[in-house]
Amino acid sequence: MVKATPETRLQSEVLATVTLSFVMDYVLLLQRIFDALFNSAIYSSLALALVIIFRSTGLLNFAQGEMATFTAYIAFVLLSGPQPRLTGGGLAGIIPGVPFTIPLAIIGAVICGMAAGAVTERALIRPLGGASDLALVNITIGLLLAVNSLMAQWWGTGPRFFPAVFPSGAGQHFLIFGARLRYSTVGVWAILLSVLVLLVLLLRHTRAGLAFRAVSISPSNAELVGIRVGQTLMYGWALASGFGALAACLSANSVLLEPSMMLRVLVYAFAAATLGGLDSPKGALVGGLIIGLSQTLIPAYVPFIGFELSVLPALLSMVVILLIRPAGLYGTKRIERV
Amino acid sequence: MNTAERRVSRMSAFGIAVLCVALAVIPFLTSTTSLRQATQIIVSVLAVLGVNVATGYGGMISLGHGVFVGVGAFATGYYVDDLSMPWLLAIVLGAATAGVSGALVGLPALRIKGIHLALVTLGLAIVFRPLSKRFPSITGGVSGRSIDARFDAPGWWPGDTRMASSVYRYLFCVLVVLLALWATWNVVNSRFGRSMRALRDNDTAAAVYGIDLVSARVTTFAISAGLAGLCGALQVVLVPFVSQDKFPAQESLVIYASAVVGGLGTIWGSVLGVIARTVVGKAGAVVAGFDGLGPIGEFFDLLDESAFVFGLGLIVLTFLFPHGLAGIRQKDRVRG
Repeated sequence: MVKATPETRLQSEVLATVTLSFVMDYVLLLQRIFDALFNSAIYSSLALALVIIFRSTGLLNFAQGEMATFTAYIAFVLLSGPQPRLTGGGLAGIIPGVPFTIPLAIIGAVICGMAAGAVTERALIRPLGGASDLALVNITIGLLLAVNSLMAQWWGTGPRFFPAVFPSGAGQHFLIFGARLRYSTVGVWAILLSVLVLLVLLLRHTRAGLAFRAVSISPSNAELVGIRVGQTLMYGWALASGFGALAACLSANSVLLEPSMMLRVLVYAFAAATLGGLDSPKGALVGGLIIGLSQTLIPAYVPFIGFELSVLPALLSMVVILLIRPAGLYGTKRIERV
Repeated sequence: MNTAERRVSRMSAFGIAVLCVALAVIPFLTSTTSLRQATQIIVSVLAVLGVNVATGYGGMISLGHGVFVGVGAFATGYYVDDLSMPWLLAIVLGAATAGVSGALVGLPALRIKGIHLALVTLGLAIVFRPLSKRFPSITGGVSGRSIDARFDAPGWWPGDTRMASSVYRYLFCVLVVLLALWATWNVVNSRFGRSMRALRDNDTAAAVYGIDLVSARVTTFAISAGLAGLCGALQVVLVPFVSQDKFPAQESLVIYASAVVGGLGTIWGSVLGVIARTVVGKAGAVVAGFDGLGPIGEFFDLLDESAFVFGLGLIVLTFLFPHGLAGIRQKDRVRG
C-alpha cells in the first residue's frame, strides 16, 4: 500500500530515529518527563476540583475552568491595578489596585474563587434540588458561556502576561542526570502536595470533614443524623473552586491569561478525573500525572499526532475509559437501578 | 399513530402562516448583505434542530454540534472544489459525511450516557479546531480555505444582478430548511420517532418492548449530525469560505443553548431558539449604539454578545420554564 515516495521514506527515517532515540536517549526522555510534570500538577488540581464536586453532588461542573480563569483575572487585577482597557467597556478599573505581591494576589484570588463557588452552590445548584442531568448540564453550561463572554467583555480576548509565580528564567533549574528540572515544576508540586495534605487532614480530622464524607456517601442518611447537608455541600463547592483558582493562577504564566485559557486545560482535567475515577481524589492525582505525561510523551514519540493534536490522546483515553471501565482506576462502581 | 397527535394544532398553523409571510417578504426589504445575513440566520435553524433531535427527542446531551456543522462545511467545500462535484451532490454528500461522523460519535453513546456523554461531546467540541488544523489539505489549516466554485443562479433565473443571485440563494436555502423541518417533523412523529422518545424516557423499558437500542441510538445521532452538517453545507453555499476559527467550542455551546432556550422536544422550539438569539443580539446592538448611556450602554454591549445572554437564559429558563420558550404555555406536567 505504501509507495516509497521521498515523503514516506523521510517519514520512516524520522520514525526510525525517533524509536532509536527512545531506546537510547534517556536524558531526553527524562527531560520530557520533567517538562510534563508541571502540566500534570495543573491537571491534577483542576481534576481534584471536579472530583470533589462530583463526589458530593454527582454533577460535572463544566464551568469549573471558566470560574478558575475568572479568579486568575482577579489575581491579575490585584497585581497590576486598574488596566488600560484593551477593548470597549470594562469594570476592571473599579477594583482599587493595591500593589500586591504574587503570593498575596493568589491567596486573594483563591478566596474570591471559594466565595464564588459557595455562592454558585447556594444560588444555582441547591434550589434545583437534585434535578435531572439535563438541568444540571444546562446550569453549568450557562455559567460557562456567561462567565466566558463576561471576561471577554471586561478584559478583552487578547492574551495578557501573568507574572511567573516561581523563578523561571534561563538558569533556574536543578540538574538531575543531565536533565533540567525547573524550579517552577518543583514549586507547583510542593504547593499541590501541601494543599493535598491539608485536605486530607481536613477530611479525616475535623467535624466538617467528617460531615463532608458522610454527605458524599449518603446525603439522606447524613441529614437524618443531623448534618446540614446543604451547608456541607456549599463548603465542598468552595473547596473545589479554591483548587480550580489555584490551578488557574499557577498555570496563567505558561498558557498566557486569556478568557478561554482553561477550556483546553479542562479537557485534560476531565480526562484525568475520568481516568482516575470521577469520585476518587487519589484517582484525580494519578490521572493528572498520567494525562500530563501522555500529553508530552505521546506527541514526542508518535509523529502522526504531533504537538497540534496533543489534546487528542486525552479525549480518546476519556472515551475508552468510559467505555470499558466507567468507574476509572480508583472510582467506585455504580450500580444502576432500573 | 394517534391522529390527534399528528394533526397540526391551530397554534402551529398560525405560526407557520406568520413564518411563511415573513419568509416571502424578507427578500423585498433588504440589501444583498443583509439578505445574506438573514439567510445565514435561517440556515442556523438546522444546527439547532440537530441538537434538538439528539437531545430533545433522543435524550442524548450533545454539546458538540458545532463540530458537525464544521464537518459539513469542510466536506462540502472539499467535494465541490477538489472533486469538482456539482453543488447539489456536494451538499447532500457534505451532510451525509457529517451524518456518518455523527454515527461514529453515536456508537460510544450506546454505553456513555447522560452527563458523561455531555462531557465527551464537549471534549470533541474543544478538540475540533486543533484537529482541523492538522489536516490543512482539506481544511486550509489555520487560515481556512476559500472555495472557488460559486453557487450562482442558473440561466433560466430572471435577472443576473447580484441581488437576483442573492435571492436565488435565499430561496434555495429557505426551501432546503423548510424541507428539512418537514422531514424532521415526520421522522419524530413516525414509528421510529416514538422509539427515539421511548429510548429517552427509559431505555431498558424500550429494549423490553423490542426496540433495537444500537440502531436507534446510532441512527438518531446520525440524523442529528446530518442536520447540523446540512447547516454547514448551506453556509458554504452562502459564503464560499470556511475556516476553523468559525467553530470554537463556544459556538457549539451557543447552538446547544439555543436549542434548550427555544425548547427541546418540539420542532418549534428550534425555530424559536434561533429567533430569540437573533432578536436578543440585534436589540443589544441597537441599544448599545446609542451614545451617552454610560454603564447601561456597557450592559447592552454585553447583550450584543449572544453567548452571555444565552448563558444567563439557559440558567433562568432551567428554573422558570424547563421546557424552554416553546413550552411557556405548557403546564409543567413532567419535570424534565
